[in-house]
Amino acid sequence: MTKLLDVRDLTVQFDMPRKGLFGPRPVLEAVRQVSFTLEKGRALGIVGESGSGKTTAAMAAIRLTEAAGGQVLFEGQDLLTLSDEEMRARRRDVQLIFQDPYSSLNPRARVIDIVREPMDLMEMGTMEERVARVRDLFKLVGLRPDQLNLFPHQFSGGQRQRISIARALTTNPKLLVCDEPVSALDVAIQAQILNLLARLKDELGLSYLLISHDLGVVRHVCDDVAVMYLGKIVEHASRGALFDKAQHPYTQALLSAAPSLARRKSKGYVRPLKISGDPPSPINPPPGCAFADRCPRAQDICREVQPDLEDKGPTRVACHFPGPVAA
Amino acid sequence: MTALLDINDLRVTFNTRYGQVTALDGVSLHVNAGETLGVVGESGCGKSITALATMGLIPSPPGRIAGGSIRLDGEELVGARPSRLRAMRGADIAMIFQEPMTSLNPVFTVGDQIAEAIMLHQKVSHDQALKDAVALLDRVGIPSPKARVHDYPHQLSGGMRQRVMIAMAVSCRPKVLIADEPTTALDVTVQAQIFDLLNEIQRDFGAAIVLITHDMGAISEMADRVAVMYAGRIIEEARADDVLDFPQHPYARGLIDCIPALGREDHALKEIPGVVPPLHLLGAGCAFAERCEHANERCRREKPLLVNHDHHPAACHAVEEGRI
Repeated sequence: MTKLLDVRDLTVQFDMPRKGLFGPRPVLEAVRQVSFTLEKGRALGIVGESGSGKTTAAMAAIRLTEAAGGQVLFEGQDLLTLSDEEMRARRRDVQLIFQDPYSSLNPRARVIDIVREPMDLMEMGTMEERVARVRDLFKLVGLRPDQLNLFPHQFSGGQRQRISIARALTTNPKLLVCDEPVSALDVAIQAQILNLLARLKDELGLSYLLISHDLGVVRHVCDDVAVMYLGKIVEHASRGALFDKAQHPYTQALLSAAPSLARRKSKGYVRPLKISGDPPSPINPPPGCAFADRCPRAQDICREVQPDLEDKGPTRVACHFPGPVAA
Repeated sequence: MTALLDINDLRVTFNTRYGQVTALDGVSLHVNAGETLGVVGESGCGKSITALATMGLIPSPPGRIAGGSIRLDGEELVGARPSRLRAMRGADIAMIFQEPMTSLNPVFTVGDQIAEAIMLHQKVSHDQALKDAVALLDRVGIPSPKARVHDYPHQLSGGMRQRVMIAMAVSCRPKVLIADEPTTALDVTVQAQIFDLLNEIQRDFGAAIVLITHDMGAISEMADRVAVMYAGRIIEEARADDVLDFPQHPYARGLIDCIPALGREDHALKEIPGVVPPLHLLGAGCAFAERCEHANERCRREKPLLVNHDHHPAACHAVEEGRI
């Protein structure tokens, strides 16, 4: 299969405010040497808690956040070394869907103009062709052409997310980055949007980079999954392996924390794995494994030596003691 | 057994620019001591209005309790004097809100805020109340509570803030605890911690919990009994296992089938088409008819009543007629 996106050792740093007048600026490393690949026509899910760096990693990969190091090969071309002009031309291949369709659509613009705008900016086709394309896209995402002249506030949350998707598709992108595409929506509406994303992927041969904190969402849409914790990928595998044979204790904790219809209060369920506390501060990350303080398996080596992401059995995992959940 | 909280035929109306709308249309609920009732539905179904009405917190005007009764341990709350409601709120019935950052006061320490709640209802000194606050913070699992009691809300993570809210809510050992989407703003691992904590607190104090949520997964882990709400009415109510395994109403089925659950990735999720109708556009028929694949002429004409089949009431003509 052909690689669409090959991210190598991507690192993102943010300068923090100085402590004193002449003190050094502390550096927060939000994304620490993250590598992943995305093949054409597949969907990669990046999961993790807030602050894990999942959004920052994706934004740096498409150059919406400046990377401090690493390479992002998009169809073999390193996006990080492109000039602004070259990057602008590349933008049509990479589009974005945001979390909150209430704040990502201009409230003063009619939706026909909102959806057409990327084509105007890219100077694609004639005005008639652009309008015709907006109509086609409206039908494709399940909206009616007679709604073209309405304003965003006249649509429900699910419909607005359909508008965002239509706009993202105008430039015929190869890669769609979806940042928590359904977390602002009601559960009943989430299913509509997830089914739409799954259908578009098949029909248009799109590739997705999908960022979510919800494992159920990722499981439904994605072929591969990367789990991030404090700026690093701790486990990376195909969907089947990750959900059935997770090796990293953090992945296992996430899986056991996700609410499930199989766990019933009436049956007196017990979570297989519980973790307490919060992740450590990214300003001063611990020298060893970042998860060691919350990990039931942690030994001395975990606090001293950072584990690398390696092929160990069914998944790629960064852990000194990988394995299934202890019974 | 008499119910600890017994809501009967509650009607709440709001004056809006579309005229008067009925936000709650004859809601009846009860919850016993030591029991958790899950109230589930999409946004706009009336879950939070039910909670606010129970707490006596419906903003009036424009809102008004137009009928029905709310009894807490036998005492009628509808029409009770405001001073009596104030004395009961926090002491006998307490609420945990959705967003812990906006429900804590940013300019007071969390210790002072918990102590304030204690001193309102118990005759204790500030020093004693602060000591109680430390014990409560310890109970809800906040590390080094002696130091944390002097922290301001912004110094705590989202999960810790929600723990503070829970500490405050249980400070006077209320008989009934209402949790309105207590974990929507939190990460899954923290959500799991909060759910486990609420279950522990229930075991310790024997409180009745009303958990408001849109997530059937949360219902499964937390609830003994479930009431499903749609457009201001209860449309199904039964033991949690019965609703989850044998949902009757098409809306309850939809809510369960549309979850992207772990373990059934390969077929398309079942969708509930459309959205909850705005209250001012509700017609004479079933409010769900527009979105329902089983709807017929009768559904569009006549509102179904909550009919009891085998201890599993559902408000649906199709269920009643045996069409599904």
